Amino acid sequence: MATEVPAFSPHVPSTELRGSGGLTPPGPVLTRFFGTPGLYTLAVYRDHGGYRSLERALKEMTPQEVHAQVKASGLRGRGGAGFPTGTKWGFVPADVPGPRYVVVNFDEAEPGTTKDRYLVENCPHQLLEGACIAAYAVGAHQVWIYIRGEYDHPYRILLEAIEEARQQGILGERPFGVDYPLDIQLYRGHGAYICGEETGLLESLEGKRPQPRSRPPFPAVKGAWGRPTLMNNVETLSTLPWIVEHGGQAYHALGTDRSGGTRMLSVSGDVRRPGVYEIPIGVTFRHVIMELAGGPPPGRQVKVFWPGGSSAPVLPASMLDVSTDLDELARVGSMGGSGGVIVADDSRCVVKAAARLLRFYAHESCGKCTPCRVGTDWAVRTYRRILDGEGSSADLQILDRIQASLQNGRCLCGLGDSGGWVIMSTMRHFRPEYEAHALRRQCVTGECERQGAADA
Amino acid sequence: MALSARAIEEIRSLPPRFPHLRSAVPPALDIAQEELGRLTPEAMTEVAEALGLDPGYVEGVATFYTLLHTQPLGRHHLYVCTNLSCTLRGAEEICHHLRRLIGVKEEREISADGLFSYEEVECLGACEYAPMLRCDGRYYYDVTPQKLEALIQGWRQEAGNGD
Repeated sequence: MATEVPAFSPHVPSTELRGSGGLTPPGPVLTRFFGTPGLYTLAVYRDHGGYRSLERALKEMTPQEVHAQVKASGLRGRGGAGFPTGTKWGFVPADVPGPRYVVVNFDEAEPGTTKDRYLVENCPHQLLEGACIAAYAVGAHQVWIYIRGEYDHPYRILLEAIEEARQQGILGERPFGVDYPLDIQLYRGHGAYICGEETGLLESLEGKRPQPRSRPPFPAVKGAWGRPTLMNNVETLSTLPWIVEHGGQAYHALGTDRSGGTRMLSVSGDVRRPGVYEIPIGVTFRHVIMELAGGPPPGRQVKVFWPGGSSAPVLPASMLDVSTDLDELARVGSMGGSGGVIVADDSRCVVKAAARLLRFYAHESCGKCTPCRVGTDWAVRTYRRILDGEGSSADLQILDRIQASLQNGRCLCGLGDSGGWVIMSTMRHFRPEYEAHALRRQCVTGECERQGAADA
Repeated sequence: MALSARAIEEIRSLPPRFPHLRSAVPPALDIAQEELGRLTPEAMTEVAEALGLDPGYVEGVATFYTLLHTQPLGRHHLYVCTNLSCTLRGAEEICHHLRRLIGVKEEREISADGLFSYEEVECLGACEYAPMLRCDGRYYYDVTPQKLEALIQGWRQEAGNGD
C-alpha cells in the first residue's frame, strides 16, 4: 500500500479499447457507457447517472429490499464459482455485533481472464458504487479492495477514484446526507494466484502466507480478521448499480432462466480480434469466438477452447454451439468459470498447451495440501518426458492417475482440481494426440518439431 | 545493507491503518524493497523489529510472493508473461529475443551492465494485448521483437545520459 497518491495524470485507460465499447458497441449493462471520454472520472460517471443507485439504496430502500433485488436478478458470482450472489449475501449473519467487512476480490489471475482490469480501468466508480451498495445490504461500513500487485495502473485509477469519492462526500460519515458511514481501502497483493481463492485472499489480507483455510467456518461468518465478511468479485459488484436502477427482474430477463443477466468474456489466443466483450448470457461460443472475436487467423480452424479460464475443462471445436449458460456448460462437462475464453487453432499441440498450464498450477500450488503440491509437480515431470520424446504408455497411465488424485475434494481449495481438469479434459477430447506424442514420439500438428528446430 | 531511519519510521506508522498488526507486513516489505532493491536478510529482520514480529515470520511471508525478491535484480526487471494466451501469440520468441538482447542465459541473471534482468511469469491479466510484459510498474502491450529492441535501447540510452 502506497502512503500517498502518486502523481497521476489524466489518461486514456488503455491504448485501445479491445472489446465492448471499442471493437463492438457497448453492452447493455456493465459497459453501457464504455467509450465515453473520461468515464473513469467521477464527474463523467455522475453525468451518466452514476451513484444514483447508491443514493437511492441509502435513502429509499432497506438493506432487505436491496438484497431482494439481487436475489431476483439471478446474478451469479463472476469470479469463477458461479454461486448465486443473493444466496451468498444471505450467509452473512445479521445479528453479530462489531465490525464486518466487504472484501472485493480484484486478484484477477486466472489465465485468460482480463475483464476485471477492463472494467476498473474504464469505469472504477461503477465498482466503488457497487461495493458500497453491497456494504449497505449486509450492514458493513468498511470495504477492502484486494488488488493484485501487478495491476499498477488499475491501482492508481482506484486510488484516484476513491479520493474523488471522498472529496465529494460519497465516501465518509454521511454519504448523500444519510447517517451511514462508508469507507473503502485498497490492499495490494504481491504476486500469487492462490490469493484469488477466497480464504487464501483473506490470509494474504491479514499479512500471512496465503494458504487457504479449511471451511467451515465460511468467510461470511468468520472472514477478514475473524469478522463476518462478504466477498465478491469485481464484475459481480460492478453489476449492482444497474440492478438497483432497473430492478432484479429486468437484469434477469437479459440472460437465461438459470443464469440471469449479462457477463464479461475476455477472448484471447488464436482469434483475429482478442478483446473483452459483454454478452447476454445464453449466446453460443460460436457467436463469441467467430463473430465478436473474428474467428481464427486466415486459413486456420478453431481446434479447442477453454470456455472460462484455464481451469475450465476444454471443449473441442465440435462444441462451439454450446451456450454460455452456466448450467449448460456444466452439463457438457465444463464450467463458465471466470469468463476467460482461450482459443487455440488447428496448428496447436494440445499436449504442449496442457503441459504449459500444468507448469502454471505447479508453480502456483501453495504447498499446503499434499495431493496438489506433489501431483502438479509430478504432472509437470511426466509432461516433460512425453514432450522430450521419452514417453511411454506408463506415462499416460500416470497422467490419468494424477488427474483423478487431484480432483474431488482432496484438497482445501480448488487449485489442484483445476490442474486435474486440464489433464482430464484434454485427454478426453484429444487422446490420439497424447498417444502420438507418448507412444510414437510424434506431434500430430508438427508444432513441437517446429519449436524444437527453432530452439536448436 | 540496512534500512534508512526514514523507512523504519514509515514502517512503524503502518499498523494503525489495519485492524490487525500483521496486515502491515507486506506493505512494510514493499517499503524495504523499494529502498534497497531487494529484501536482504538484515532488511527482513529490521522490518520484523520495527513491527515487533518474529524475523522468521516476516521471511516466511516475503518468500511466498513473486513480486518480493531476496536476490538482486537488474535496474529494469522485466516480467514477461508466458502463460497460454501469451505463448499462443509468441511469448517464447519474445523471451528468446530478450535473452539475446540483454546477454543473459537464464531468468534472474543480471546483464553485464547491471541494467537488466527478466523472469517469466504467469498470466498478468492483459491477454487481449498478448504478448505482453510488465516493467517498472507499467504494462507493455503487443510486444514484438522490434518493440522490445527499441525499449531496451531506450533504457540503455537513458542510463548512458544519466550517469
